[in-house]
Amino acid sequence: MNTHRGLVWFLAPSLLVLLAMLVYPLGYALYLSLFDFYLPSNAPKFIGVGNYLALLGEARFWSAVYNTFVIVMASVALEFCLGLALAVGLYKLRFGAHGLMVVLFVPHIITPVVAALFLRWIFVGQWGLIDATFWPLGIFTPDWLGDPIWAKVTVVLADAWKATPFMMLVLYAGLQSLDQSLIEAATVDGANGRQLLFRVVLPLMRPIILFVVSIRIMDAFRFFDTIYVLTGGGPGTATETLTLYTYSVGFSRLEVGKASALGVVTLLIVLGLISAFVSFIYRRERGRF
Amino acid sequence: MKTRQVLLFLALAAATFVSLIPVLWAILTSFKQPVDAFTIPPTLVFSPTAEFHYQIWFEKGFWTFLVNSMVIAVSTVCISVPIGTMAAYALSRIETPQTRALLMVILAVRMFPHMLLALPFFVMASMLKLFDTYAIMIMALVAINQPFTIWLMRSFLVDVPRELDEAACIDGCNVWQTFVKVIVPAVRPGIVVTSLFSLLLAYNEFLFALVLTGAKTKTLPVAISEYGGEDITYWSLSAAGAVGIMLPILLFMVFVQRHLIRGLTMGAVKG
Repeated sequence: MNTHRGLVWFLAPSLLVLLAMLVYPLGYALYLSLFDFYLPSNAPKFIGVGNYLALLGEARFWSAVYNTFVIVMASVALEFCLGLALAVGLYKLRFGAHGLMVVLFVPHIITPVVAALFLRWIFVGQWGLIDATFWPLGIFTPDWLGDPIWAKVTVVLADAWKATPFMMLVLYAGLQSLDQSLIEAATVDGANGRQLLFRVVLPLMRPIILFVVSIRIMDAFRFFDTIYVLTGGGPGTATETLTLYTYSVGFSRLEVGKASALGVVTLLIVLGLISAFVSFIYRRERGRF
Repeated sequence: MKTRQVLLFLALAAATFVSLIPVLWAILTSFKQPVDAFTIPPTLVFSPTAEFHYQIWFEKGFWTFLVNSMVIAVSTVCISVPIGTMAAYALSRIETPQTRALLMVILAVRMFPHMLLALPFFVMASMLKLFDTYAIMIMALVAINQPFTIWLMRSFLVDVPRELDEAACIDGCNVWQTFVKVIVPAVRPGIVVTSLFSLLLAYNEFLFALVLTGAKTKTLPVAISEYGGEDITYWSLSAAGAVGIMLPILLFMVFVQRHLIRGLTMGAVKG
């Protein structure tokens, strides 16, 4: 008996949309990346891999690569530590955990642009909540948005503010699905709290930790809205990541050829990360989750 | 033991409060006169005014951006969820190496840097004269929402027992009738959750809206980003706008609180 005859056709509408709106534009971007193309001139000139070579020799490109890696790694590390601490705390709490969790989730779910504005009003020099609170007390706070190093810190804090709840929620779900008998066994064997966490709980949660950290790394790589509103890549290019640099080349300077090349390079970096991630999920999928 | 629980609760409540400070501060600011909004030290006691909420939504025309946002988000969901559910149904029932590979490709697409797609969209939109139309924005959002919709719906569909499909087949349903009359009703809660999350993604989207919309179709995130707050006399006004944009999302939280984990991990983690 063939219950599902013709079911393959159910894929058609979705795949058509994906082909027309994702695969085709992607191919078009690859094609554009081979041209010297200033959009208003409407006269693309084929230059082969010229855009890529130009990028590799450009200090601003390498600074964007460096900024991207520093910001991604620092944010994800910070989010993991905070998220784990909150998840463990909520897991141990026997009352009110659900309510706290929902409220803790608000920063993650609000519109990124709005969230970035909220943070601007906290960090902005002199009139921002932090400066306005501490200056009268004679405590001089760093120039959060104006100093090249502190601006990076602020951007990392901003990303952590938005993404920690996600980390927390997934790790909390992981804690709840742990096999309780293993934890009891370790407690009976005399493990203290720290040993329990590092020797038993975290190794058991390895798959879910890998999953959530990978997801966050990919998303942090695309991180755009918050930096755009918070610092606009500044001061200078101190917080300019690959996405922000692509934006300014493509949409401010309208050099769409070079911007496409920049996008392709970003994609290659992300693809490297994705392939590691997908091979991991694929194995998990075969084990039927 | 009891005191430890209370201390733990207090510590977590304090963390929650700290994380909410930016939100609470913006809400306070939105009810302040500019003279109270920027003072050193900050003002906590003031006579509240709803004047700026009225000004931003009506006099500054934010309601038209709300209409744009809603038209785009709702149309996106109306296209994305039906076709995504169909694809997810096929992918949940046909298990071959090809369909598994397809699922992985779809997942990889979800990870693409959106900036790379925004560029060709921008060039195509300006060539096809589709710049600043609802159509191009909706098409773009449907495409970037597809991977999310398919994965999340699939996680609900694999939970629907196959005996249902078989029973429908024995009763003489073809595959389309089985899907419409049996599967869709069985998975209705999943469709609601998926639609709400897709709505949120479309409502919050910024990059494509920034690049593809203009005066006629500008969405709320783009509109508020232009009130960036360089000029501090605008703070009350832009705070009122930002807080208003946040309100529907808080409502959304109430509806989906039980499904947050599943929705946000595309069904990979079932909370």
